[in-house]
Parts: sequence; structure tokens; C-alpha cells
Amino acid sequence: MKEATVQHDHGAIATRSATVVATGVGKVFGSGANKVQALDDVSFEVPQGSFVSILGPSGCGKSTLLRLIAGLQPISSGEIQVNDHTPDEMRKAREFGIVFQQPILFDWRTVEQNVALPLQLIGTPKEERKRRVSENIELVGLSDFRKHRPWQLSGGMQQRVAIARALAFGPRFLMMDEPFGALDMMTRERMQTELLRIWASRPGTTIVFITHSISEAVLLSDRIVVMSARPGRVMRVIDVDIERPRTDEARKDERFLEIEAEIRDLIFSQEHA
Amino acid sequence: MTEPGYNRTREALITAAIVVGVLALWYLAAGILAAGDDPLANSKLPYPHVIVERFFDDFSEVTSAAWTSLSTALIGFAIGTAVGIVLSVIMVQAAWIESAVMPYLLAAQMVPMIALVPISQTVFKNDTATRLFIAAFITFFSVTVAVVRGLKAAPPPARELMRSYNAGRLRTLRYLDLPAAMPMLFSGLRVAAPLSLVGSVLVDLMGGSQGLGYLMLAAQTFGPAQATLVWVAMFVLLALGFLLAQAVVMAEKVLAPWQPAMRQGGGH
Repeated sequence: MKEATVQHDHGAIATRSATVVATGVGKVFGSGANKVQALDDVSFEVPQGSFVSILGPSGCGKSTLLRLIAGLQPISSGEIQVNDHTPDEMRKAREFGIVFQQPILFDWRTVEQNVALPLQLIGTPKEERKRRVSENIELVGLSDFRKHRPWQLSGGMQQRVAIARALAFGPRFLMMDEPFGALDMMTRERMQTELLRIWASRPGTTIVFITHSISEAVLLSDRIVVMSARPGRVMRVIDVDIERPRTDEARKDERFLEIEAEIRDLIFSQEHA
Repeated sequence: MTEPGYNRTREALITAAIVVGVLALWYLAAGILAAGDDPLANSKLPYPHVIVERFFDDFSEVTSAAWTSLSTALIGFAIGTAVGIVLSVIMVQAAWIESAVMPYLLAAQMVPMIALVPISQTVFKNDTATRLFIAAFITFFSVTVAVVRGLKAAPPPARELMRSYNAGRLRTLRYLDLPAAMPMLFSGLRVAAPLSLVGSVLVDLMGGSQGLGYLMLAAQTFGPAQATLVWVAMFVLLALGFLLAQAVVMAEKVLAPWQPAMRQGGGH
């Protein structure tokens, strides 16, 4: 594994311009008696090139929110702007690389072919495609497994392939829906620091990350949008001012523990109310 | 865990033992029948070696009939498969199309072949065309039902993934849904392959003038002396059906080797 050498040219997060702006977003599923208000009046901003986590218990609509930003589902009310465009326009411009909780790799393709899939669909010329595929597979540390089939890999490795595939076509946004949620604890923590390393080598990429793990959100994020459930609402937006690059050491940082405690109090105060 | 090699040997031994057992029972039954006072016993249930001899005696006649049955079954099978895949793709485009077409598909399956064969004979006025139609008809049903399910096998996030690449219907079909439907397609083909052969032979039995079915019928009408030929035709049909099913399994191993049941080499 290479060390993270590329520094982020982050200024203070508050001074950077917003790239995703959600204003009073609501999402309703169904109609009549079956109507479910999944999201209600959700507003927050994602600064350019930052790592923003959306954190909340299950049923808070955080995965739905990710799908709205990525233009995969229509918004019921309110507005989301991504670089002054609608999410749907940005999706069609292929600005979103998506990683789901399940790796969703195609079993009939090798690792290499899975990573090549979006490039193939976009029509990237063959030489360029090859270069990008091997570059991204190397980035996630799977060069020795290029010809393997997905089911020959461990869960963590499969998720690395999914990350390589999401980055292969150079999208400006990486949308991650609980990407490490299905992994065991140790693999999960290793993948978190891996993700930071990978992100560091793709400066300018904005990450929106869905999680229900407080420590995961604190370790990774510049900003955390803490949500409550039924309907999903924003409880608080917290900026994480822990210095980067962050490693496993950051987990012991005083500031880390403070923010973690703040979020925990916030979530539990609401649950017992 | 037992070694795969060990299992395979055991499997082969069991298969061989069953074959030997069946043959032994056959000889026993034929012997008992011959010991009775029925003068036609030998043609009703001939000894297995008599059937084999008869096969070589009438080799050209049998192979020509077999070729008629096999070739029409295969072409009908191919047509039925193609029509089935196309119809499945159309059906999954919208829920209303599927719910509109599905009842007819199920109704079509309920049509007894014994009723359909004479009808299509009067329509086509040609044995070969009728054989192709019946073989295709049988195949088409199994394939359509299986592929419709297969085309829905991809999980919703896979579809979202394709949407995030802005892939349209055609590309989603080509890169996601069709490959994902392959295992179901093959399970449909496995069922349909031997049935297409039966379909073709059924036409011979109901008025055709060629094929294995015709051979059986003709042999029966020519009297007890020819009855062994009925057995020959039956075993040839059985062997062809078995070979067709095996061919589908082989094709699947080549074309869709990624399925859990066919995987070689374990995980990490």
C-alpha cells in the first residue's frame, strides 16, 4: 500500500463554495393511505471537493436522500442543485460514481471487465479504457486479481472493485451508500483508511457518504449531516475540524472523541424524548 | 469435505450398478415371459441383445428416421428459443404488457399436443413444417416463462448502477439483463430440448410418414415380427433426448460458467 502523499488543498470548510445545495427537500412514497413521508424539509450544503457524511438511524431516509442527489429518484418537494444543475442533468452527464452496500459486481465479468463496464458504456476508446482500468485497479490495490471473478474475492476486495469501477470514468462525485456496512469490523476499519488514501489521490472529488456508524462518519468526513427518523429530518450539521491526512491514530484524537460524543448525545436525546 | 474425484467415481459406480440392475431385471422378465406359453413373447419383450442386433440390421432405416426427428426437433428448438427470448424481452418492457400476454401464454400451454398436431397438419399440409411448429411451440413456452423470470433477476441496485452510467434500455438489456437471465434461459432449455424431440415424434405418430415415430407405428402395423423395431426406435429416441439435454448442459458450461453451481476455484 502506498502512503497518502497528495495533500488536500482544503481551506476551512466554511469558506469553500458549495457544490451540492439541498433546500427544503421532501420525498413522499406512495399515495393516499399508504403515503409515507420519507424525507421532510431537508437542507444542507456539500462544499466542493469535501467529504460529507449523512448519518442517521435506519429509516431516516438517508439512502433515499443519496438517490435524490444522484438523480436516481425524483424529488417530491424542495430543490437539489448540483453545480447549478438538476441531479438528473448531472446523472446524464455521468458525474456520479456510485458504490452501494452490496458490491453489485457482474459475475459474468472479471474484475478488470467490471471496472471497464462504465467506460465501455460511455464509449471510451480502447487504449484509454485499458489505461484507466489498470490505473484504478492499482489504486485500490488489486492488480494481482485483475483476471479473477468477483466471487473469488473476499467481501472487502469486492468492495474495492466497486470503488475502482465508480472512479474509473472520472466522475466528480463519489456517492457511497453504506459501502462498508456489510463488512466485518476489522475489514471495515481498514477500508475506511483505504478510502481516505484513495480519495487523497483523486483531489477535487466530492464524496457523499451514507452511514449509520458515528465513528466512521467522524473519521472520514469534513461535514456530517445528522438525521432523525420518520420522517427523515436534519437534526444538526456538524463540521469536523480534525486535521488531514487522518489515519487510524485520529480515532484516539481528543477532538474525534468530542465530536463522537456530541453526535451520540444528539441521537440518543432524541430517541428517548 | 469429500474430494470431488472420490464423489465422481462413486457416482459412476452407482450409475453402472443401476444399468446392470435394470438389464438383469429385463433379462429376467423376458425369460419368464418366454418360458410361458405365449408364442409372441419374444416380440412383446425381446431380450436386450436382440434389440441391439436389430438396430444394426436396420441401421440405415433407423438412422434416417432418427435424422428426420433430430433435425426437425433441433430447428424447431432453435426457432422456439429465438421466439421465446424475443417475446420475453418484449414482455418485461412494461408490467401491462406482461399481464396482458401471460394469460395467453398459460392458455397456450394448456392446449393438448394431441389436439394441436392434427390442427397444424391441416394448416401446414406438410409434415416437416408441422414437426418444426410443434417442436418450436413446446420450446417456446418453457423458454419464455424462464427468461421472463431471468430478465427480472438483476437486483434493483444493479439497475440504478446502469442508470448512473446513463445507459438506456437497450444497453441495460445487453450488459445487465440478458447476461443475468442466462442461468434461467438454460434451465428453460434443459426442459425444452428433449420435449422438442418428443414433439417432432408426435407428428410422426399422428400421420407423418417419416421419423422415429413413423418407424414405431409402421413396425407395429407390420405384425409381431417387427415389434423389436419399436423397441429400437424407442431407445434411439431416448438416447437422442439424453444427448440433447447433455448438449444443453455442455453449452451452459461454456456460455454461463460463472453461476454458483458451475464455479471452479474457491474464494479467499
